[in-house]
Amino acid sequence: MIKSKHYDRAESTTGGDVEADCTADTKTHFRVCRFIMETGVKLGMHSIPVATACALYHRFFRSASLQVYEPYLVAMSAMYLAGKVEEQHLRTRDIINVCHRYLHAGSEPLELDSKFWELRDSVVQCELLILRQLNFHVSFQHPHKFLLHYLLSVKGIMNRHAWSRTPIAETAWALLKDSYHGPLCVHYPPQHLALAVLYLALHSYGVELPRGAVEWWQVLCGDITKAEIESIISELLQLYDMEAKCT
Amino acid sequence: MDRDLLRQCLSYHGQSLFALLGSEQSENAHFRLISADLAKAPCQRKDKNTDSSAVEQFIARKADLLFSPTWKSAVPAEEEWSEETEEAYAIMPPLEQFMDVHFEERRDLFYRDVERGDVVIGRINSIRDFGFFITLICMGGGLEREIEDLELTALCPIREVPSNGNHDDPLSYYQMGDLIRAGVKDIDRYHGKLTVSLHPSSLSPNLAKLKLGVISAEEMPLHYSRGLKVASSSSETYQKVLESSLGFSNPSNVEFLLGKLGISETQPPSLMRGLQSKNFSDEDYGTSIRKKQSASWALKCVKIGVDHFKSGRHVEAMNEYNKALEMDPDNVEALVARGALYATKGSLVKAMDDFELALKSCPSHRNAKKYLCQTLVERGGRLEEEEKLVTAESLYRKALALDENFKEAEDALQRLQVHIQKSLKLREEEAAKEQKKSKNVETSAEKLRKILKEEKRMKRKKRRSSSSSSSSSTSSSTSRDSSSSSGGRRKSKKRKRKGRRSSRNRKKRHRRVSSHDRSVGSKEEWYPAPANTSASFINEKQEVSRLLDEQSWPEGCGTSQVQRRRSRPSVSSSSLGGQDDSRGRFEDDPFDGPSQQTDHCRGRGDGCLVSPSGSEAGLRERKWSCGERVQRKESSSRHQEQDSLGKMRNKRYSSSSVGSEPSRRADSHTDGHSAQSGSCRRSDGSRYDNRGATNQKGEPRDKRYSDECDPRASGDTSQNGKVSSEGSVRKNVPATLLDIFSQIAQFEKEKLNKAKM
Repeated sequence: MIKSKHYDRAESTTGGDVEADCTADTKTHFRVCRFIMETGVKLGMHSIPVATACALYHRFFRSASLQVYEPYLVAMSAMYLAGKVEEQHLRTRDIINVCHRYLHAGSEPLELDSKFWELRDSVVQCELLILRQLNFHVSFQHPHKFLLHYLLSVKGIMNRHAWSRTPIAETAWALLKDSYHGPLCVHYPPQHLALAVLYLALHSYGVELPRGAVEWWQVLCGDITKAEIESIISELLQLYDMEAKCT
Repeated sequence: MDRDLLRQCLSYHGQSLFALLGSEQSENAHFRLISADLAKAPCQRKDKNTDSSAVEQFIARKADLLFSPTWKSAVPAEEEWSEETEEAYAIMPPLEQFMDVHFEERRDLFYRDVERGDVVIGRINSIRDFGFFITLICMGGGLEREIEDLELTALCPIREVPSNGNHDDPLSYYQMGDLIRAGVKDIDRYHGKLTVSLHPSSLSPNLAKLKLGVISAEEMPLHYSRGLKVASSSSETYQKVLESSLGFSNPSNVEFLLGKLGISETQPPSLMRGLQSKNFSDEDYGTSIRKKQSASWALKCVKIGVDHFKSGRHVEAMNEYNKALEMDPDNVEALVARGALYATKGSLVKAMDDFELALKSCPSHRNAKKYLCQTLVERGGRLEEEEKLVTAESLYRKALALDENFKEAEDALQRLQVHIQKSLKLREEEAAKEQKKSKNVETSAEKLRKILKEEKRMKRKKRRSSSSSSSSSTSSSTSRDSSSSSGGRRKSKKRKRKGRRSSRNRKKRHRRVSSHDRSVGSKEEWYPAPANTSASFINEKQEVSRLLDEQSWPEGCGTSQVQRRRSRPSVSSSSLGGQDDSRGRFEDDPFDGPSQQTDHCRGRGDGCLVSPSGSEAGLRERKWSCGERVQRKESSSRHQEQDSLGKMRNKRYSSSSVGSEPSRRADSHTDGHSAQSGSCRRSDGSRYDNRGATNQKGEPRDKRYSDECDPRASGDTSQNGKVSSEGSVRKNVPATLLDIFSQIAQFEKEKLNKAKM
């Protein structure tokens, strides 16, 4: 299982000041991930490929340096690669079009000239670079699957009317997607992320689930601790705070 | 903002949240409206965590999103409860079970949450006269709880039990210990009493497909059986069960579950301010940028193409246009340019299609209109030349509709109308002429008919009086099989003497003969004839027929002969090669109707190959089917030529039936040919002109002989000018077809005998 190896509980980064964490790099990463997610929507990418693209990006820059590699190019290539991995193939032409327009708002579509071909070449080459940097480990277990199953189980234990009037599913899903602005996906196993997100969603709406010998969240994810849940949540909330600073 | 939600949230979090909300959402008008309400009842949560301030801050900041009514965008799919045959996702036992929720709490929760229309599964524990009681085991739909150990009982009153057809007590169908699936009909939450029903109407709509009543242990829901496993072993954790189930590995389970929960992928929810997708401009989306880009790229290609066109390089121009249209299929400029190119090259229809397409997307395109009008007029002109005046007129009108001031179209229309009037006049005159002609034609046809009728009458008289058999006595042939005949001629003579039997007799004899022959020839193999051999076969037949003919050449039957021979061309070309013209003609008599011809051809073709070996089964079958038709035609047409003619035909047919004996024919060939040629050539010469065409066709058709007798025959008959004479001959022939077949059989038998000898 990929779990233990790739996830480092970066305890050092949790807690502490929000300001200290917002280094320039973090901000850049945040912006680029915002770029990935926004262009993902505009390209019609589904949640999982977008998550893969962000995960690829974060993993890449765990070992690579921002000084050497242009992050936006890496992001574009990550999207292209993620589309292939998750079987939602994207055309380089579309990626280039949307990204160009994102970076140069309101511009005309590119002409079929040398600049276009150069861009395309660089995207394709960077893709190979990412693959090599990640040792070709490009398929991940995402928290999305786990979250959906957890949601169903929680739905079963709730009163159906309470469920239908409380938008738990949407909130949890939104929180999970937003978590990709930061390297949470790299630091924590997918089950834990999913659970933390669900916990936060339920907590936000003040939904109380029945109490048993075991807590519901302990059931869903056997090896998680309350502390971990809270650290994930706090990291996630920091991302939201960062939005104000970065954009 | 959803007031109830907020209230719930506030009651959970307490006063601090309210304060935060106040500060963060102060600009929010909605909040201000309901804040007064909310201020009334916030309460402190019992075990509040200290570090939830960040969370509260978060909630407060995002409250306008979280609590907005539009946030509840999830529209769960009202799916039909399908049998869990294929797990689209991992179906888990109820969470309660894993949580070990307390007995009492579970029961309370159950009674709180169960509703009418839910499905329960239980076991009958007692049957009374007013109904039966079941102990609930698990839920079957609508709710997912662990209830087995709660030992709840539900009553199914007798009125809720559907009656089977017979007037027995419906309860007699059920026994103690039966597993029952029932729908919840009524709940008494206070007393903890459930009433269930077995009527399908008691189910909620999305569960309506479930079968109620007795079920087997295999039909227990998956979540129950998984739950049992969990209960039995302590090592089965939720995680393990989840990851080991097949549905979890389904690659499309995310998609499925998103649909089940109702979360949208195209308008994904986000709590980030910048990612609210409703704020994205449509023009930034990939598809719309691509369209614009394709249009601009296509336009470039069109420009290049137009340059090519102007310099006369039409091929390159077409390539550029096609390239442009590949990139952007609806590109108006490309369509117009391509249409112009088509029109210049002369493919007016394609040009018109392109122009119309262009006008569909851009109805005000000046060039498209202009070109289209011109093309329409030009096409109209061409159609006029082809005399398709009505279509031409419609095209001119269309052009005028597009552009009222199009002078050319108006002129063309006027010219056309004059043309139409002229043609109308012409047609009237022609029609008048035709009427006159038809009258004349009728009179000549009537005359012919009279003649034919007379002939028929004469023939009928003669036939009835004569004793010549049209069909060989097949029984005699069978009897004669054993005897070695000296020659086919003698046999044929004898056959002629025999009286004509009724069609039924003939049939019977055919049957007998065929069965007999089959036994004789069954050992032989049966295989279809290639075209070539059938042709030669027919030639050979003809020798013998001529040989016979020479013996009994009727006098003064010139006309009838002529008539007969006229009918021959209908088949000769179909059966023979060019060199066998004269012989071929003789073949015509038997082949009067297309169907008969086909059959006969086939019969001949088959018979030819069969003949060397001597098997007759196939032939008999053909004869049999032909015979039937012969009988039919026979009954309908009793007009005949003179009896001697019939005899002659018989002989010919018999000779043709001999076709299976090549050796004989070889001998008789030279004799017959010389004898016949003289008489034949007289008539032949007259008909060579007729035949010239047919014979030419005969050669190529020869190859397809066995397959295409029909079309050939019909084609040939059309060539023959004298329809009526043909018709009469044709009608005569079928009467004697049976003769042919039987005679063929006869000769084959003879051959067999000779071989034995």
